Amino acid sequence: MGEAKLALPVSEEDVLRANLYRLLAATLRAGPSRQDLGMFADMHGDDTPIGQAVSAITRVAAKSSPEEVSREFHDLFIGVGRGELVPYGSYYLTGFLHEKPLARLRNDMSRLGIERRDDVAEPEDHIAALCEMMAGLIVGDFGEALDLEEQKKFFQAHIASWAKHFFTDLEGARSSVFYACIGQLGAAFMDVEDQAFLMV
Amino acid sequence: MAKGSDKVAAGRRDFLKLAGVSAVTGTAAVAAGSVAAEAAAPVEGGAGYQETDHVKTYYKLAAF
Repeated sequence: MGEAKLALPVSEEDVLRANLYRLLAATLRAGPSRQDLGMFADMHGDDTPIGQAVSAITRVAAKSSPEEVSREFHDLFIGVGRGELVPYGSYYLTGFLHEKPLARLRNDMSRLGIERRDDVAEPEDHIAALCEMMAGLIVGDFGEALDLEEQKKFFQAHIASWAKHFFTDLEGARSSVFYACIGQLGAAFMDVEDQAFLMV
Repeated sequence: MAKGSDKVAAGRRDFLKLAGVSAVTGTAAVAAGSVAAEAAAPVEGGAGYQETDHVKTYYKLAAF
């Protein structure tokens, strides 16, 4: 297992959690490239819910072209006027963008030393941004790796309340084929994260 | 870094293993690919993320 550059004692399971968050972030930020699809087609899962979802991604990725998946991404998240889904925490929780959930996230980001890039105009509570933040907090991209208690606080404050709901919607969305599998993985992973944090 | 007793941490790791987190192979390559893609763009202040097409939709949504 890689990530040898990290001197911090992040356990193997935690590195794998970060990898799953990065996989979700990468696919929800933009449609995957041909190279991405090739990597997805090379994954393997067991018969757990997470493993089954990964196997589903593998099967669909092997049969999909980047053009097809890009179109799906567009229909789901961009659309004409708007996509089928609006992947922002504030929108899921309040029905509007830029509400209190976003303000609370910004407070925590500033406390944790996470900054939005200057060239990004949309709010930070996008599901891909949150998954990327979780990955970074787990392995220490933003400084020291966050301990589990702090990870739990961040997860419960900004992700647990809506991400499972979003991933379930993604799994069942009309336009979803490849993304139905991403939704399946996200929903299964959120269940595991939820339960694992109960042990912290 | 891990706080709490080692027993609790070990129990949690066992749970994650059983839950399939470590039975999934190939995600490291995907994750590394995703980091490499980010690193290719100039990143200021550590945390980088971008969702270019979302910006347009976001503006549309914010307009009502």
